[in-house]
Amino acid sequence: MLLVEDDPRVRRVLQLALRDEGYVVSLAASGREGLQALGTSTPDVVLLDLMLPDLDGFDVCRRIRHDSDVPVIMVTARTDSHDVVAGLEAGADDYVTKPLVAKELSARIRALLRRVEPARTPRTVRAGDLEIRVDEGVVLRDGVALHLTRTEFRLLAELALAPGVRSREELLERVWGYGYFGDSRLVDVHVRRLRTKVEHDPANPALVVTARGLGYRLVR
Amino acid sequence: MRPARPTPWRPHLRLRNRVALGFGVMALLLSTAIALTVWSLAAHYVNRDNVLTARAEASDNAELISAEIADGVPPSDRLLDLLDYAPGTAAVLLVQDHVYRNQEAESLVLPTTLVQDLGADGGPSTVTVDGKPYLEVVSASHPGDRAYVELRPLDDLRHTLTRTWQLLIGAILLATALGAGFGLFASRRMLRPLSDVTQAASAIAHGDLTTRLVPRGDPDLDDLARSFNRTASELEQRVRADARFAGDVSHELRTPLTTMLNSLALLENRRAALPSEVAEPLDLLSEDLHRFRALVIDLLEISRFDEGRATVEPEPVLVGELVARAADTAAGRPVTVVRPSADGLVVNVDKRRLQLVVVNLVRNAETHGVSCRAVTVSAAGSTVRITVDDAGPGVPPDRRGRVFDRFARGTSSHVGTGLGLAIASRNVLLHGGAILVEEAPGGGARFVVELPVDVRRPQQHVASEPVEATPLGARP
Repeated sequence: MLLVEDDPRVRRVLQLALRDEGYVVSLAASGREGLQALGTSTPDVVLLDLMLPDLDGFDVCRRIRHDSDVPVIMVTARTDSHDVVAGLEAGADDYVTKPLVAKELSARIRALLRRVEPARTPRTVRAGDLEIRVDEGVVLRDGVALHLTRTEFRLLAELALAPGVRSREELLERVWGYGYFGDSRLVDVHVRRLRTKVEHDPANPALVVTARGLGYRLVR
Repeated sequence: MRPARPTPWRPHLRLRNRVALGFGVMALLLSTAIALTVWSLAAHYVNRDNVLTARAEASDNAELISAEIADGVPPSDRLLDLLDYAPGTAAVLLVQDHVYRNQEAESLVLPTTLVQDLGADGGPSTVTVDGKPYLEVVSASHPGDRAYVELRPLDDLRHTLTRTWQLLIGAILLATALGAGFGLFASRRMLRPLSDVTQAASAIAHGDLTTRLVPRGDPDLDDLARSFNRTASELEQRVRADARFAGDVSHELRTPLTTMLNSLALLENRRAALPSEVAEPLDLLSEDLHRFRALVIDLLEISRFDEGRATVEPEPVLVGELVARAADTAAGRPVTVVRPSADGLVVNVDKRRLQLVVVNLVRNAETHGVSCRAVTVSAAGSTVRITVDDAGPGVPPDRRGRVFDRFARGTSSHVGTGLGLAIASRNVLLHGGAILVEEAPGGGARFVVELPVDVRRPQQHVASEPVEATPLGARP
């Protein structure tokens, strides 16, 4: 994994502690270094501090998203800040708040890297003009593959696999591995991002619709 | 600091009313003086006019009588009825012991003094005949021989003067009332800047530090407004700086905390390889470091309130389920009872904040209240009520108001961060709710949270959106 963090002591101690949890951690001290590192290597996950000395953390996130689908976990100052929504909209998959603890981070990373559990017979769900091949991790529209991040795909697959309304809490549990008290904004922002990719008119969604106050539902 | 000396103040009458009273008294005095002058002048002139007219008429009539008698023919008995009088005037003529009267005079019982007066040519005087006032004019052209008297009624005149006097008193009262009213109006206008200052000061005292006075363009008052605003913004800055300080410190502490917590985790992962003597210090370090972490997180949470930056992000949730999940997890066993009134109830709350409230109350019950006995969720009207009962000694009534202050610890001060109840209380207030502590039935403390949220039942959604009618309470 790649850790982008400007404080050298935090960088070092997280590298040690995450190594203890079984991760190979490469380090970057700034946004530029982080983007450079991504050009030469392909980590499984990026841990990105939003407070960076050179580039804006949101910018770094957008640039990473531009070139790659690597899961990004951002490090924000507070849960109740608008940074969370801004970071998620910039393309982050999840967020953690300081102080970071390697064990908790490890749980987050495992949840993000989890794949849709394979079934005996390959499952394909059709919704509108979408063809969702759940086990292949592919979404096709008129035979052409749509480009979704891993988390966006898992969210769509969750909606596709069970009919009816899925509550936010349920989606948080299934996609992000959070308990009941996970942050619902994760779901809401990811649904918004998913809609820009799968809907013809994201402002008036016809496929991923909101069940007002209850959750989301995929229209087949 | 020297204790401020109270400003002497006359409490019995407000300044505004004193000004109004002053205006009223002034209007009373002025209008009374004017009325008295007007009345005395008017009375004087009216009376004088009346006397002059009466005299002129009486002397005209006397001359006519003289002319009549001069003929030597004894005058007819009805002589006086041929003359002209003001209405109601009684006339009496005395000629050599013979008394002539006109019609008016015959119906009157004339006083004996009148007959005696007839001897001399007296000036006009006021007499009362039959209880009515008359102006008496005596015209004796040939003294001793004959005398002529006219009694001119005065009651019309008196009546007019009384009416005038009544009108003047009315005017005095009206002027006084108008004066007082004007005084009240003027003083209110005059004192408006003062009441603005009072309101602004009270708003600041109640915590709205952003309150400022708007200058009104009056140089005298704008000085006051400016200095008030300067003081207010200094106060605001100081309070904000104090609030920020706790937040900033906690913020800064998180970096060393990261280093410490992760280093500790590395050590704990190698506990088996460490010499036995360091096991206990490692445990102590671990315990306190985790408490320290909780304290920093709580301080950050509460500093958001102090800085005025805490916001509610409401979303519809099943309140019974939320409370049950939070409370049961915090207690480590099922403690929650959702009453039928709250079963399936969807409310708009900030999930994270309500969770904090419930978790902090349950943790408080577990640590300071021996153990959490029960958590109940019920609803009545548009209020959701959450109670948390503990098995402790309860909170004495004199400490109930302070229990939500930060670091207002109970007996066991070595557990918890001391901020849990303060955070719970502020989160409830942020939702527009109320929190209090009372005695639980059967002893112990009962914390009561009431949230006046816009309550919605899922059935209503089902009714409006039948396609999406899925029981939300059922969960895989």
